[in-house]
Amino acid sequence: MRLEVKDLVKSFGETEVLHGISFQVESGKALGLLGRNGAGKTTTIRILMALFEANGGGVVLDGQTFKPRQHQIGYLPEERGLYPKKKVIDQLMYLGELRGLKKKDLKEKVLYWLEKLDVSHYKDKKLETLSKGNQQKVQLASTFLCDPEIIILDEPFSGLDPVNSQILKEIIREQIASEKLVIFSSHQMSYVEEFCEEIALIDKGDVVLTGNLKDIKVEFGKNRLVLSLIDHSPQDVDQVLKQHCDDLVEHVEYKKNHVVLKLKESADKQQLLSRISEKALDVELFSMYHPSLEDIFIESVGDEK
Amino acid sequence: MNSFLTVLKFEMMHYLKNKVFVISTLVLVLLVSIGLTVPTIMEMFEGAEDEPGIEKPAEDQDQYGLYDPNGVVEDFEFLNNQFYLGNLQVVSDQKTLESKVSSGDFEAGYFIKDSLTYEYVVLNKEMTDQGAQGFEYAYTKLFQKQGFEQRGVEYSEVEPLIQPTFNSDIQILGKDSAGNYGYTYVMVFGLYMVIIMYGQLIATSVASEKSNRTMELLVTSTKSTYLIFGKVLSGAFAGIIQFALILGAGKIAYTLNAKAWDGFLDFLFDIPGTVILNFSIFGILGYLFFAFIYGALGALVSKTEDVSASATPITIIFVAVFMVAILGMNDTSSLMLKIASFIPFSSFLAMFVRISMGEVTTIEVVISLTILAVSTFGVGFIGSKIYRMGTLMYGNPVKIKDIPKILKSQ
Repeated sequence: MRLEVKDLVKSFGETEVLHGISFQVESGKALGLLGRNGAGKTTTIRILMALFEANGGGVVLDGQTFKPRQHQIGYLPEERGLYPKKKVIDQLMYLGELRGLKKKDLKEKVLYWLEKLDVSHYKDKKLETLSKGNQQKVQLASTFLCDPEIIILDEPFSGLDPVNSQILKEIIREQIASEKLVIFSSHQMSYVEEFCEEIALIDKGDVVLTGNLKDIKVEFGKNRLVLSLIDHSPQDVDQVLKQHCDDLVEHVEYKKNHVVLKLKESADKQQLLSRISEKALDVELFSMYHPSLEDIFIESVGDEK
Repeated sequence: MNSFLTVLKFEMMHYLKNKVFVISTLVLVLLVSIGLTVPTIMEMFEGAEDEPGIEKPAEDQDQYGLYDPNGVVEDFEFLNNQFYLGNLQVVSDQKTLESKVSSGDFEAGYFIKDSLTYEYVVLNKEMTDQGAQGFEYAYTKLFQKQGFEQRGVEYSEVEPLIQPTFNSDIQILGKDSAGNYGYTYVMVFGLYMVIIMYGQLIATSVASEKSNRTMELLVTSTKSTYLIFGKVLSGAFAGIIQFALILGAGKIAYTLNAKAWDGFLDFLFDIPGTVILNFSIFGILGYLFFAFIYGALGALVSKTEDVSASATPITIIFVAVFMVAILGMNDTSSLMLKIASFIPFSSFLAMFVRISMGEVTTIEVVISLTILAVSTFGVGFIGSKIYRMGTLMYGNPVKIKDIPKILKSQ
């Protein structure tokens, strides 16, 4: 399956909040929908789920207009919520039945997911008596129990402790491995980095960056190098570079123990390396720059300066 | 359709498993059943003594005192026989009379000053005190008897002229509005209670799904029309079940205790089939009409505590409709009731009152029913749109005037 979001435009009243969001994702892959708070991630997801109608653009699945109710979708909304006064098992059965599952299979699935998420001993308890983390796990069980082909998770890790996050990570990995199409939004970059081959970075209702994460990283790391010199602070390194390599280096960014420098278009890393050895600078670290997603994120959307 | 049944079943179970629903229904059924059995129980304890036609012995009756210093009463036996409240006992002085009334030995006492003047002595005068009337009835008879006899006329000869007994029968060609008043009132009031109670419950249930954020999962799992129709219909079924159980328990208890009641409550339980049929049709449609409105109003707020404020306007309208129906019962041909019987907000009560107690043509009933059915469908449709729209509107309650704009923008 290939899901394509094409040029989504959405306004609330006079305010346009999405100005043309586009991205795509395939089965067996996960797409990370990134963005700051209020960037438009949840609105995009709600349009995907047909909770909102877009004012322009559309969503296409394998060339056909995407109608969420015709597919089994595991949807975890940003606003978590189940019935607090109902028993865990009753509400999972209800939600499963609503999604068209047969009662017999459903019960097995409910028990399977409760077991898998380590909350099976709460099945006959009222939801409100569970801790927040366990309620979240019940909600996750409701997301996966219909064996969805498409999984849409809005901030799935918020509210989970490290152990539970680990459980969820494994589940998401399994889902990806079994050829599910996964979209998940988050502003926790490390999680996105762990599973997502594709990302779409949304800022103020526009996609500012989309594509394969590896390619994006290569693109971001192009012409950038990491350098540190023994007994030199990043500021000292900057001074040294200005003094000896000004013709090669375009821009220097300070990190904690090193600098990330950008070479001029005309320069390459061999030239810089020879210049450094010529000047007998004592190199501690010299490498290609591999940006983290967080670096990319901050550089792409964090420049409110 | 399957998911609709799933929603309906889930919502029904919500009512049927609800302790308040179960207990309140049980309590009401028990109260009605026990209340209607009281006369039989009383008969059992009192045994045959209370059989009609057999007088209680004088000492078992309520005792009343009589002080007659001037000897006005010539035939005490006659006076005591005519005194239907209890048994009269003659006392020798005013003090005894007062002390026996104060101590509770006498229910009350009478001090006859002269043939036309007497004093009624009672400890506490209740709202329903019959002591004076009861005595005057007997004393009037005695007065007439003594007067006639003084003039040489035998009282037994003139009594049938003074107090004739007529045999009468009523032949009602139209409707017995007075006779139908009892059950019509009970049915109108019952429906009013059911709608106002379940309306609030439905609104609260919708609002709580919003406030606990279940709504977003629900509307992505099934059609929103199924959700609101399931909620409203399950409320209707629960209301009908409750109403039918209470009415049924009443009917059964009344039938079982028919002997003790001796037809006394026929005006409540002897309801013609056509009235029940019309009540069911108009009642259910009226219920649905208001339930959809309440459901939609519940979707406009985000917190359950805002429900009552949001539902106030429709509750005021509903109370006004109820007042129109109740006032209309006194005059079923009034213009106000006629107009009200065609407006969908009020027709279910007003038309029912006219059918039950007044004159109405079949065509009028059909027109009113059609308007109500079409409006109920319309309200259901708009209600489900508002419900759907309200799903993701959090924050301040949505103002009614903003609804069209928001519906358009979504």
